[in-house]
Amino acid sequence: MRYFVFRNNTVERFFPKEYSFSGYDDISLIPEEADGYVWFYQLPVKYDMEALCDEVRGYIQKLELVLSQVSSSKPFVVLTMDDGYSVPMTSGVVLLSAIADYNASIARAEQGRPNVKLLDIREFTRQFAASEVFDWKFWFISQMGMNPRLSKPFSEWFSHKLEQIALKRKKCLVLDLDNTLWGGVLGEDGVDGIKLGGDYPGKAYHLFQEALEELGKNGVILTVCSKNNESDVLEAWNKNPFMVLKKDHFAAWRINWTDKATNIRELADELNIGLDSFVFVDDNPVERELIRQALPRVEVPEFPDQPYELPIFVKSLVEKYFRVYSVTSEDKLKTEQYKANAQRTQSQREFVDFESFLRSLDIRLKIEPANEFTIPRIAQMTQKTNQFNLTTKRYTESDIRGFIETGWKIWTLSVADRFGDSGITGLVMLNGEEIDSLLLSCRILGKGIEVAFLKRILALLKGEGSKSVFAEYLPTAKNSQVKDFYERCGFICIDEQPNGSKRYSLDLKSADLEIADYYNITIK
Amino acid sequence: MTDTMEEKILIILKSVLGVEGIDFTVSQENCEQWDSLAQLNLVVELEDAFDITLEPEEIGEMKSFEVILRLVKEKVG
Repeated sequence: MRYFVFRNNTVERFFPKEYSFSGYDDISLIPEEADGYVWFYQLPVKYDMEALCDEVRGYIQKLELVLSQVSSSKPFVVLTMDDGYSVPMTSGVVLLSAIADYNASIARAEQGRPNVKLLDIREFTRQFAASEVFDWKFWFISQMGMNPRLSKPFSEWFSHKLEQIALKRKKCLVLDLDNTLWGGVLGEDGVDGIKLGGDYPGKAYHLFQEALEELGKNGVILTVCSKNNESDVLEAWNKNPFMVLKKDHFAAWRINWTDKATNIRELADELNIGLDSFVFVDDNPVERELIRQALPRVEVPEFPDQPYELPIFVKSLVEKYFRVYSVTSEDKLKTEQYKANAQRTQSQREFVDFESFLRSLDIRLKIEPANEFTIPRIAQMTQKTNQFNLTTKRYTESDIRGFIETGWKIWTLSVADRFGDSGITGLVMLNGEEIDSLLLSCRILGKGIEVAFLKRILALLKGEGSKSVFAEYLPTAKNSQVKDFYERCGFICIDEQPNGSKRYSLDLKSADLEIADYYNITIK
Repeated sequence: MTDTMEEKILIILKSVLGVEGIDFTVSQENCEQWDSLAQLNLVVELEDAFDITLEPEEIGEMKSFEVILRLVKEKVG
C-alpha cells in the first residue's frame, strides 16, 4: 500500500519503505496515484508562544485544503498533535488550547468525511517518558519531532491501527421489507400489489434491490428483519416477477412479530458476527429509534423519505460503511479482473456491420400471454406509450381483464440483452383476427425487435390456424414514426383516410415470417 | 558467532543503505544510497548496536566506513 505522507518534520523512519513524502510543510503537491494519505504534523519548535499557536492553528486550514482536493474514496489518516517538548512559561493553557483546536478540527474532519480517520498519537506516546519521546539532538541534526529510536514501536502501532481501521468496514446489512425493499405493505397489498418494478416508485425500489444485490456480491452479508408472515414473504420472493433479492440472497432472516432488537441479537448469534458489524436499514423511524437505543453498537442510518432518494442513500451506505479503507490486495485483484473484462468487452465491440453488432448483443425476447401479474403493466403501457403505438387505445386493468374473458389474445414482450433486462417493454392485443393494439417502449427500438416480435406473433397465429390478420394505423401527434410500419412488415394497405389513418390486411399463408437468427425468442 | 566490530558495522551499513555489495571502502561519495536519511538511520543503529552516543560534530564527519570504524572504536574503548 503506497501511502503519501504530508508532514512538517522528518518522519520517514516511522513509516514503511514504500511510502512517499511531501516536502516539509508543503501541501502544494497532492499525488493522485497514492493508495491513501497520512497527515502527520508535529508541534513546531518555537518559543514565541503567539507565533507557535498561530502556526498550529494555521495547520487546520492547510489540512482542510488538502482534504477538499483528495478523492473521498481514498483512506486519509490524520494523526493528532502532541506536545513533545515545550516548557510553559506560564500555565501553558494558550498552547494547550491551540493544540486542542487543531485536534478538534481533525475530529470534525473525521465526522464530516467518510474517508478520514483520526489517529491519536497520544495513544502511542503515553507509553513512554517525555524524555524518550523527544530528543533534542535529533531535532537539531535532522529536524525530527519525535525520537527516531521510537520508530520500531511506532511502525508496529501504526500498522496495527491501519488494520483496525480496515476491519471497521461493516459486514452485515439487516433489511426491513415493507416500504424498504418495495413500496407498500405486503400483508395488505398482496404479492402482486406491492410496488416493485414497472413505473415509479416500484422502479426505484427495484433499482435499490439491484444495488443491494451488488453489495451482496461484494461481500456484504444480507439479512432480513421484518414484521410479516414468513409464508407471505416466501411467496413474494418466489412469485413476484420483479423481485431481485430473493430467498437465496439472504444469509438469514427473522420474519415474525417479535421486536426487532431481539431478532437482530439472534441474527448476530446465528451468523456469529459482532453487533458492531451490523447496519440496520428500515423506513420506520420508530423501529430505527428502538434499535439505536436497544442496540447502540448497531449502525442505524436515516432512511430517505422519498423512493427517488434511494440511490443517494445507497451511495452514503457504501461510502460510510462498506467501502471505506478496504482497498486490500484482494480488492485490487478484483479491480484487475474488472479491467480485464472491460477490455474484453471493448474488443468485442469492434463490429464489421450492424448485423454483427445485433448478434453480439445476445438479444433475448420472451413472449408471454397476459396473466394476473402483468395486467397492471399492460394497462399502464397502453396508457403511457405514445410513440411506437399503432392505434393509441388507452385501457384500464378491468378493460384488459374484460378482453381476456371475451377471448382476446394478449401477449407481452420482455427484452433482455447482454447489458441487462428491460422487462416487459412491448405488447400486442388481438381481437380475433384484428390487431387492436401493438406497442413497444422506445427503449428497445432500433434493433429490429419490433419486426421480430410481430412476425413471431403472426407465426403463432398461423400455427393456430389463422388465415389472415387485419390491422390499423391511427395517426396521432406522436406516433408518426410507425405510419409505415405495417407496410415494412409486408401488410397490404387496403384503405387510407384523408386524416391519415390506414387499414391493413395480411395473408398469413404467403407472408414472409422469417426472423433473423440473432434473436433468441422464447414463448411461454 | 560474535562478529568483529568491522563486520557488525558493515552489516549495519548494508541494512541501512539497502545494498548487499559494499565493503570497507564504502563512503558517501561512492554510494548514492548514502543520503541524509540514511545518515540519520546509521546514527540510530550504531548508537543502539554499540551502546554509544554520537555527537553532532562526529555525525557530520561520519562519511565513510573508515570514519565510522574509528569513531566506534574510540567510543567503545
